Amino acid sequence: MEGIFRGGSESDDEIFLQQANDEDEYHYSSSSISKLQFRKELSRARWVDGMGMAEVIEKKGQIWVTTGIVRNGKTYCSIEEILFFMEVGALCLVDDNDTCICLEDIYKKIEGKMGAYCLELFDVYRHLKSLGYIVGRHGTAWSLKAVKSTCRPVSLQVSEESSEVMTLGSADKLSIIELFGTMQINDMMPVFDVYLPNSRFRKSSPGTVHLPKPKLKSLRDDVVAFL
Amino acid sequence: MAPRWKGKGAEAKALADPMSKIVAQLQSSLTQTSASGILSGCSVLIAAEAEQTDRFSRACFGRPIVTVDKDKQWFQLSLEEAFFLRYYLKCLKIEVGDISPKSDEELWHCMITRKETFSDSYKAYSHLRIKNWVVKSGSQYGVDFVVYRHHPSLVHSEYAAVLVLSEGNGNDLNGRLRVWSDFHCTTRLCGSVAKTLLVLYINRNGNFNVSPLCLEKYTVEECTVSRWSPEQCREE
Repeated sequence: MEGIFRGGSESDDEIFLQQANDEDEYHYSSSSISKLQFRKELSRARWVDGMGMAEVIEKKGQIWVTTGIVRNGKTYCSIEEILFFMEVGALCLVDDNDTCICLEDIYKKIEGKMGAYCLELFDVYRHLKSLGYIVGRHGTAWSLKAVKSTCRPVSLQVSEESSEVMTLGSADKLSIIELFGTMQINDMMPVFDVYLPNSRFRKSSPGTVHLPKPKLKSLRDDVVAFL
Repeated sequence: MAPRWKGKGAEAKALADPMSKIVAQLQSSLTQTSASGILSGCSVLIAAEAEQTDRFSRACFGRPIVTVDKDKQWFQLSLEEAFFLRYYLKCLKIEVGDISPKSDEELWHCMITRKETFSDSYKAYSHLRIKNWVVKSGSQYGVDFVVYRHHPSLVHSEYAAVLVLSEGNGNDLNGRLRVWSDFHCTTRLCGSVAKTLLVLYINRNGNFNVSPLCLEKYTVEECTVSRWSPEQCREE
């Protein structure tokens, strides 16, 4: 068969893999940085210092189907949700005096609210949310009416040492930590639960994510590749 | 490996507009407006006015955050980029939370607390930046930094840099390049993306990283690593 193993004296074929388009994010001129438009109708939320969250006092649009947690009939949103919707112009955050809190003040507030790597965790949240995923804090129920089902979401872990994000299929927190233990990756805790985009998402029954299962494919000569 | 410019005219554009000059323009703009950044986690956020936005983009510091704010463009800088603007170019103040701008020593301490290896990564970063290379995170290639001859929109990065502490005793920065298999993997990967592996050996020379003054005592040794193919050399 065609030599997958060509032996030590193979010619040094340098295959130039298609360069990641990540370099395109470095714009030479500011005019190529995209801008968002303010939405016509802004939702409003009031910051609650004691909770470290904001209580939603005015809901506009469909964003609240997949954002915020429901407790006693009220909706509260976390700092990452606040920041995300303020950045995209869908939310106005106010303090006790109904004065608008600006983005700059929120950037200062975020320090310490999500742990040491707050801004990095927010980067992850923002990235996935922008792609349409439904993202919630791991271990925090969307609603207390949530049906206890055997279905579980994918959990995203962020390492304490770096802000690299790894997706892992599976179960609950305990077995994720066990899994990490066997790989000798310690001090990693799940941070977010991530669900596929779903227009019929219900906080009372968040459901699960269809995980791409690893496939074992037989090649010739019984060589098995893990895809 | 020769630099891979992107498109016709890119090299000429770069020669006409050297990075040293672009960085100096950013420096003067930030100094004039007494610019200030917010330290949050392992990043520093800066709100740039219209003219500064262009300078940040061209000097390749930070990455822009897309928001609705029409008056300001927010940029998110790494700890190394922000500290370089503060400590070397002296054109930026940095606040932590609501507290007024920190002194260099206080800021250094904040950064070391957030990132244990900051003194080494900053030494490497500044070592290259001072020589007018553009330095960005190399995490997508599994290395510490990628290094560009000029702006990434004009040229592909030539080097993928990995930092290694010179002093042994198991005091590794990141456990990289301690076994041959890692050298092989890394050089192979670098080759596949048309970059040369650049190993930066950081020697602390016995200094502790309690203050930014230790940076003067650190030394950096550069070493490129590439595969030598005996079959390909004979004809020379």
